[in-house]
Amino acid sequence: MKTYGETPSSTRTRKRVGIADFAVTADGAVLTTSGLGSCLGIGFHDDRAGVAGLVHVMLPTAPDEPTNVAKYTDTGIDAVLNAMYDEGATADDVTAKLAGGSAMFEFDSQDESIGARNVATARSTLDRHGVPITAEDIGGSSGRSVRFHGDTGTLHVKSAGDERRL
Amino acid sequence: MRVDIQSLGTYNRLAQEGAEHAAASLTEMTGIETYVDVTNVTLMSKKDVEDVFGGTEFVGVQIGLGGGLSGETALAFDRDSAASIVDVLVPGTTTDDDGGFDEMARSGVKEIGNIMMGGFVDGWADYLSTSVDMTPPTYVERAGTDVLPNGALDRAEEEHVFVFESQMTAIDEEIDAYIYMLPEYGAFAEMLEASDDHEDAIPMDKLTVFDEMTRQGAERAAENVSSMTGFETDVDVSRLSFVPIEDVPNTTRDEVYLGTVMEFKGTPGGYLAILFDEPSARTLVDATVPMELDDPLGDMGESAIQELGNIMTSGFIDGWANVLQTSIDHTPPELVHDLGTAILSPIAGRLGQSQEYAFLMDSTVVTPEGEFNCEIYAIPDERKLKEALDSLLIERSDQLEANRESLF
Repeated sequence: MKTYGETPSSTRTRKRVGIADFAVTADGAVLTTSGLGSCLGIGFHDDRAGVAGLVHVMLPTAPDEPTNVAKYTDTGIDAVLNAMYDEGATADDVTAKLAGGSAMFEFDSQDESIGARNVATARSTLDRHGVPITAEDIGGSSGRSVRFHGDTGTLHVKSAGDERRL
Repeated sequence: MRVDIQSLGTYNRLAQEGAEHAAASLTEMTGIETYVDVTNVTLMSKKDVEDVFGGTEFVGVQIGLGGGLSGETALAFDRDSAASIVDVLVPGTTTDDDGGFDEMARSGVKEIGNIMMGGFVDGWADYLSTSVDMTPPTYVERAGTDVLPNGALDRAEEEHVFVFESQMTAIDEEIDAYIYMLPEYGAFAEMLEASDDHEDAIPMDKLTVFDEMTRQGAERAAENVSSMTGFETDVDVSRLSFVPIEDVPNTTRDEVYLGTVMEFKGTPGGYLAILFDEPSARTLVDATVPMELDDPLGDMGESAIQELGNIMTSGFIDGWANVLQTSIDHTPPELVHDLGTAILSPIAGRLGQSQEYAFLMDSTVVTPEGEFNCEIYAIPDERKLKEALDSLLIERSDQLEANRESLF
């Protein structure tokens, strides 16, 4: 699933990120994604360059030659960071916030849930890129929807009737 | 005939890319930012096609395809969406007393339809290395299945038809558009046909049996909910679609549901979700809990929904077991109260570890007066589904043998 209007434009202020999808903004757009269950949403922000990105990944690690890199945590992080570097972000200035990765059902909780594995893969991949995690709202048994403000890097998380600001 | 799953996947991707081109054209021409919500290939009985389209009024265009890809297409907007688009394209056009569009508005719809469908078809022509001919667009303003090209269903000789469906939505406005393509069954079946030794193939005729299983399962579930609540119910739609695994969560609407989810064990393995939107859940809680509740969707209400989910699950499973003539093991149904997409995401995630696409069987249980509706999603594990279909073939032929013997 792709969103349209990837070209920066001052008139476009909101971009929707689907499942297995990402978006990058260099003009402070609000990036949104909903329905994060075991999926993981990762918001990236480079304050100095004014570039931000949001990815909604579904599974921990990609197979060889994945058809959609944004479906997997490891390749999804690579893809959104590369797209941000193309927009002028630099590796040293990017920080990340995580939301999602819950275990909603018993049948998904026995060994290690998909959500927990997504979070673990995100930590190791971000560590490899040298990107620090500055906030997180992960785990539990409820789904989440997020709004990520590209200008400030603020992540609003809505879950089970609550709204939190990271 | 056996169908190659990978080629079904390829055609689904072509339809998705085609719809993205079409959405981009719409954005370019109107400035309304749109995205493609979901694209699926559905194998539907003719009756279900009628159910899916029933009751909605569409405005749009029909375009026939010939050459390398033969079939019928329709681009449909609901009436309000069409009005918003026409307003941008040809400002100042008028509608008649019935809310119909004038000549200028109609030609605006035809023009955008032609451009969008041109974008939709291009990728197919490239992939098939051939040219695809398009008839000039015909403007249509109709209700229900009539938006489909004249006779498209009558001409379909088989009981089932393939329908490619893409849904497009605008980001900031209430605009919904749909692209439908009904490829000519025979020609498309040939495109899908797998060689006999293809290990990734699914027997086509057995797939329609599975469609029947889903209908039976949904009907039993509906009967159970009727006897518990006193509401008369009906299964409105039951269809089998083939979607990329990451699109599975998007088949629900972006709203909060209450219901139950459970995992099938053995053959066929997979998942079953029985979901009520919150207004429906409130209605059912009122009908089944004998006292007035402060919060109908609090703990008491949730346990009433859990109970309904349990009995509907057992009805559904009876329906499946009846067709498969086997018992089906499963985990206890678990209560869930969350966004629909979040509910289906762990299911998509677990299946996505071993498959790229999913066969999704969705049914909707409704009541004649519209008091509530219930969405039932059955998503089998692809490998287990193949095993189940193969053994279905064997069991049925065994029965045939036995019957023959009993004649003598």
